[in-house]
Amino acid sequence: MHFSLSSLSLFLVALLSTTALATSALTITIPPSNLLPNPNVLPAGTHATLTTLTTTGNNHRILTAPLTRSATFLFHHLPASTKPESYLLDIRSPEYIFAPLRVDVAADGSLLGIWETFRGNPWDNRGAEKFIVDATAATSTASDVTVDAKVLVRRGFYEERSKFSPMALFKNPMILMALVALGFTFGMPKLMENMDPEMRAEFEKQSRSSPISGATRSAMTGGGTPGNFDLAGWMAGATPRPAPGVEAATSGGVTTGRESGGASRRRG
Amino acid sequence: MWLQATLLLLASCVPSSLAIYHDEVNHIDYHHALLGLPASQSTFFLKPSAASNASLLYTLSEKSLLGAVNPKDGSLVWRQNLSRSALPAAHNSAHGLLRASEGTNALVSALGDYVSSWSALDGKLIWENWFEGEAVADLELLELEDASAAPSTKDTVALFGGKAGVVRRLDGNSGKTKWEYLDESGDIPFQLSSSATEVFYVSLQPSARKGYRIKVVSLDPMTGRQTQQQILSSEGDVSSADSVLFVGANTASPMIVWADQSHKTLKVNVIGTKQVHAFDIDNTSGESISSIAVHAPKKLESLPHFLVHYETESTTWAEVYHVDLKSALVSKAYELPRLQGWSVFSTSSKDANVYFTRITQSETTVVSSASHGVLGRWPHQAPPMEQAVHSVSEVVAKGDAVAVRSATALASGDWELIRNGQTEWTRYEALAGALAAAWVEEDAQEDLAHQLEVEGHESLYGAYMHRVKRHARDLQHLPEWLKELPKRILTSILTDEVSNLDGFGIVRPVVVATENGRVYSLDAGKHGAVSWKVKAAEAESWNVKAILTQPGSATIHADDGSSVTLDVTSGEILGRTPGTAKIRSVAVAYDGTAPVTVGIQDNGAPLESVDGQGFFVTLSDDGRVLGWAARDNQHPAWQFLPSPGQKIIHATARPSHDPVASIGKVLGNRSVLYKYLSPNLALITAVGESSATFYLLDAISGKILHTSTHQGVDPTQPISSVISENWFAYSFWADAVDPSSSKGYQLVVSELYESPIPNDRGPLDSASNYSSISDLPLPHVISQAFMIPEPISHMAVTQTRQGITVRQLLCTLPSSNSIIGIPRPVLDPRRPIGRDPTSTEAEEGLFKYSPFLEFEGKWYLSHSRDVSGIKTVLSTPTLLESTSLIFAFGGDIFSTRATPSQAFDVLGKGFSKLQLVMTIVALTAGVIILAPMVRRKQINAIWKASS
Repeated sequence: MHFSLSSLSLFLVALLSTTALATSALTITIPPSNLLPNPNVLPAGTHATLTTLTTTGNNHRILTAPLTRSATFLFHHLPASTKPESYLLDIRSPEYIFAPLRVDVAADGSLLGIWETFRGNPWDNRGAEKFIVDATAATSTASDVTVDAKVLVRRGFYEERSKFSPMALFKNPMILMALVALGFTFGMPKLMENMDPEMRAEFEKQSRSSPISGATRSAMTGGGTPGNFDLAGWMAGATPRPAPGVEAATSGGVTTGRESGGASRRRG
Repeated sequence: MWLQATLLLLASCVPSSLAIYHDEVNHIDYHHALLGLPASQSTFFLKPSAASNASLLYTLSEKSLLGAVNPKDGSLVWRQNLSRSALPAAHNSAHGLLRASEGTNALVSALGDYVSSWSALDGKLIWENWFEGEAVADLELLELEDASAAPSTKDTVALFGGKAGVVRRLDGNSGKTKWEYLDESGDIPFQLSSSATEVFYVSLQPSARKGYRIKVVSLDPMTGRQTQQQILSSEGDVSSADSVLFVGANTASPMIVWADQSHKTLKVNVIGTKQVHAFDIDNTSGESISSIAVHAPKKLESLPHFLVHYETESTTWAEVYHVDLKSALVSKAYELPRLQGWSVFSTSSKDANVYFTRITQSETTVVSSASHGVLGRWPHQAPPMEQAVHSVSEVVAKGDAVAVRSATALASGDWELIRNGQTEWTRYEALAGALAAAWVEEDAQEDLAHQLEVEGHESLYGAYMHRVKRHARDLQHLPEWLKELPKRILTSILTDEVSNLDGFGIVRPVVVATENGRVYSLDAGKHGAVSWKVKAAEAESWNVKAILTQPGSATIHADDGSSVTLDVTSGEILGRTPGTAKIRSVAVAYDGTAPVTVGIQDNGAPLESVDGQGFFVTLSDDGRVLGWAARDNQHPAWQFLPSPGQKIIHATARPSHDPVASIGKVLGNRSVLYKYLSPNLALITAVGESSATFYLLDAISGKILHTSTHQGVDPTQPISSVISENWFAYSFWADAVDPSSSKGYQLVVSELYESPIPNDRGPLDSASNYSSISDLPLPHVISQAFMIPEPISHMAVTQTRQGITVRQLLCTLPSSNSIIGIPRPVLDPRRPIGRDPTSTEAEEGLFKYSPFLEFEGKWYLSHSRDVSGIKTVLSTPTLLESTSLIFAFGGDIFSTRATPSQAFDVLGKGFSKLQLVMTIVALTAGVIILAPMVRRKQINAIWKASS
């Protein structure tokens, strides 16, 4: 142990231009969460980065920490610089989105504080505090800091293909409408038969003037749906014509099925 | 009802999603996860944990990628890029080292100053450590005999070179230094070796006259103190570090092997003794020995036997030596016969037994180290195997019989697994060094076009007869076609493949040129399988600048000005042109019919002038942008220099195929913003110390059309840019420069319009001609910046045939090893800021601007694949307007199809033919049942009405 300490400090002396020993290690752990119940399933390529502007003062690369066996990221020694640096900490994973953190490091490489940060917001707009250096214990030497990473979202890469199911078919409004129409076709004559003759006469008289049942009747007689509706004109915002049903009723059963068939084909 | 119907109609037009379906994976895309050529000393089979039965194949490649490969099928289990963590200065020249030990489930790797240990099972980090200013020269795992040490972890001894040699023992759990031994004698640190009780540090001591003496220092593994020192007088034989053939690793009795310079005698020293055993090399071939290699088992419990492999120009043979542990005597045991051609040897051990596997071009043989009897011999399948460079083997003995599998690295850059003489899989690791790629233009249509041309030039009667003959000739394919027909109908209903899209240019092969002078053709129809490969370069390596394809052939241009033309169906070399002058890039001028290629020199000047209209924009090595008229290669028409302190790093122009479907953008209130569409736009990226400037130039006149400067930009991080149609995009890392600014990666999108006012076409109005030189109007630029979570190292744009399909911005994300396609509507710079869109804006499809753009999962073209090291992404149109082909290379190879507005002109897998058939059957059945009912009813109605 004696060897390891002395060599470590030797190494640090070589690394830092100053003789300060206040370098601290930063550990980021991934606690199990609802989105990621087992952090050990993260692929080996997952890594964390600490990024800031490269200048002649700090002249270094982006700091990278690969995922360890215990699902943590370990930054051994934060580099010293000529002035305090403020890093953006990201966890790089294609599938899981982690909350970014702001990591402030003093000129001697010791941690000043860690906060949540919000992308697309001013850098000074800090979120919840994860760690702050204790100002009263300023003389204390290297301390290891551990913070938790938060999984925000799991990315879904794939689209579910809609499966064929009869229930989905019955949820389709077009099918439902067709079924209602079918019900009318078969049900109406039965109903009419069961009515007493006076009421039937009255009903028939009424239905001749009523547009809806007129349309129904034209449907019943095989005329199909009203075909004179000007879809193109209606979509272009042309002045609305009188209710299509009336027109259909007045034109009676002479409408051909061609146009309505065309419309339904386009609809599908 | 009508409103509803129309809404349904509208909804079907709007793409609901863009993500790929699970069942399209491996169908529309393919991926070669590559490592690069495995290094000979850092490749081995290993059981990933003490409990597992099967072993994995581990390697540290020449590209500094550490990976585990499943020996069963050659698939990649995990990989790590060591150069990401090593100091950038370290990994240029440094070669990596990888060591492992049976039963520890840990690997230890070193690259430059970076030493790390990885879990063998899943590739996760155990520990890492940096030693600044030093480079690891050798690495050993300590196999101590005392059983008290925990067997699950083994400490590492590492030798560091640099100013002085340092030996360190690193803890197996934390990587911290336990002790270190500093060698300040000025000797060259060479290698480490260890026995069960000692660590040996081998260095080369320069002798007074010439050559080196081999110095062996024994260290106590517990304390690192020097126990004894031996100097072997080898100065007559050892002239450099390469002269020492072998320093034994972890065998029961480690040894040093070297030969004299004329390859006459072989000298062996068992480390720890003073005695040097000399053996005469029995060379009866008459040729001089070109190389000697030593293969020895690495396990502690293995028998102390080793094999010496001799190679001459045309033959190879080997000798096996035994070491007597007690007396430290070395004796020659037997000889393996001299064979014509190359052979590679590999060592494997099982318990104490040691097996040597020899692979030649015709067979694989296995011998035991104890005797020369051949335990197994397997002839290879025809044709004779390509030359191998090195191999690793795993031998399984069942009674008297043995089985062997060998992972062999070939000289062509492939990695093959040969199991009992059969090739199980091949990994084309050379593709990791892909420099250029291009889609092949098939010449199937070429023949027809030629025939039609003939008909066009003949007399009326002649043309008619020609056509009749042609059609009669086509009839000979009719029986085949008829025979195929039932099968085609059946398979089209049963299989997943809904429609055969081969005729639409969806499955075009790709030609890839790699660093090591090879050209590969990848068959898109077979998951990117290699259909042919050929060594096209005359040298060992080349620097390919461009691949240009013509129907039926492809021409590859190298940086020495030479070019090679290949047949794209067979890979046959059709012709070569020798190099004239060193070029920095290749420009293509479309002069009349055939494209003309012009090399661009380092100073930016074209090598030759081209007749006809046209111009070049070139970059020179000293950081200028030059504009040239095609017919004058002496005097540039204009030159552009960035402001002082800035350096041009990138220049890009609109893709050569960039069709514009509409010249304007229709706004919500039916007015039109006219796009500023100039074919002569160039986007130049210049960086200062912490700033980046993007210049939009007119390429004819060199006039600056637009400039944008960003402060706080990190020029060492990736800055990428792209330009297409009437918009351009770029991304960079920007730091907080004032309290209100943010820190992170940014993506900036700018659109160019003729005028800020809708329905106004600016000063040019609808003029059909304009001049770039006199009063060129400036574009109206609308920009928006987005914060993005990751760096973008490369950008491209999807290309479709007509440009009607919405474009996607293809971005390579190096930090999460993905490729994404961001739909252009998301990046519309006219998105309203700070308020919800008005109804007219909403009708245009605009939604509220948010400064942060999170990459959605459905944009990931590479979905869950780990596509690493991509340097370039190409896109090409197909005959289907909806579909664009994408090919990415540079590290891995990845190819997919992008359908930015969904596959609106193809029946996808969601279209079930079976369902359609069943619906028709059901309807027919309904009609058959209902028809008599209706007929009866109608007849009844007539009869009843009349009654």
